[in-house]
Amino acid sequence: MDTSKTTVVLLVEDDPADQKLAKNALVNHEMDYALYAAENGEEALEYLQRSKCGDTESPRPNLILLDLNMPRMGGKEFLRHIKADDDLCSIPVVVLTVSDAKTDIQESYKLRAAGYVQKSASPQEFQKVMDKLAKYWFETSSVVRS
Amino acid sequence: MEDLERSSNMDDLIPVVILLVEDDPADQKLIKKSMLDQKISNKLIIMNTGEDALEYLDRSKSAEPGYPVPDLILLDLDMPGMGGKEFLCRLKTDDALDTIPVVILTSSASEQDILETFKLQAAGYIKKPPTLDGFCEVFSRLEEYWFVICKRVPQRQLSCAAIR
Repeated sequence: MDTSKTTVVLLVEDDPADQKLAKNALVNHEMDYALYAAENGEEALEYLQRSKCGDTESPRPNLILLDLNMPRMGGKEFLRHIKADDDLCSIPVVVLTVSDAKTDIQESYKLRAAGYVQKSASPQEFQKVMDKLAKYWFETSSVVRS
Repeated sequence: MEDLERSSNMDDLIPVVILLVEDDPADQKLIKKSMLDQKISNKLIIMNTGEDALEYLDRSKSAEPGYPVPDLILLDLDMPGMGGKEFLCRLKTDDALDTIPVVILTSSASEQDILETFKLQAAGYIKKPPTLDGFCEVFSRLEEYWFVICKRVPQRQLSCAAIR
């Protein structure tokens, strides 16, 4: 893995408490990464449009963490949009949600999610889960780097 | 194929099924050895070519006994006949098989290969480590991600229940 390049993660999450949990969990990780956040699918799409235009304030993410239940545009709709985009479809999207409903899991994978992780209410548990997630995506797997 | 039964909860009694699509015998051997080392009960199925793998998957689709649907596919890119990318493309256009996560496991470090396989909806891209220890580490991370923290695609669990 090329550690001289920062890994950019886009977190799409409307709940401020969950945003904070995710941010804290990633901050504790020793990898070199940068975290950007959007509060719903629409904002995330706008962010990605800006990144396509080379906006330095909106660098293209190497990984997207996606909540499902959000106002304005939910996770599944966002996933549908991004996977239909010939350029953006190469960004892996991991669903990060409270739901463990079989339909949500099935639909997310059908929409080409690259993982489905259930959020834990306990910060310690959440930390452990984010550690394993980060180890997989930042250390084990390569990702597309422009 | 070894089953290392160790745990007490329902999910772990059903070994995870991993389909390895890989033609190189040395790599097959290394991977088999690393799988034996893992904590999670697993069943490794090895196919030498994309064509053989598709044939296996066709049988698993019809719930043929002895052909369980894989929970994860590990895919080499450089194989004779149907290459890894073509296999991936075919898989993702099959309504019955397209939710199975596919992780590329290759010696290629090409940025172009990484881009193309992610475009084809691979769910990971791993460069083959040079040593057995390296493989064991990779497999440990793979299992932790796909079988500990990620929820599994429900369809296989449903078909497992049906067979029992």
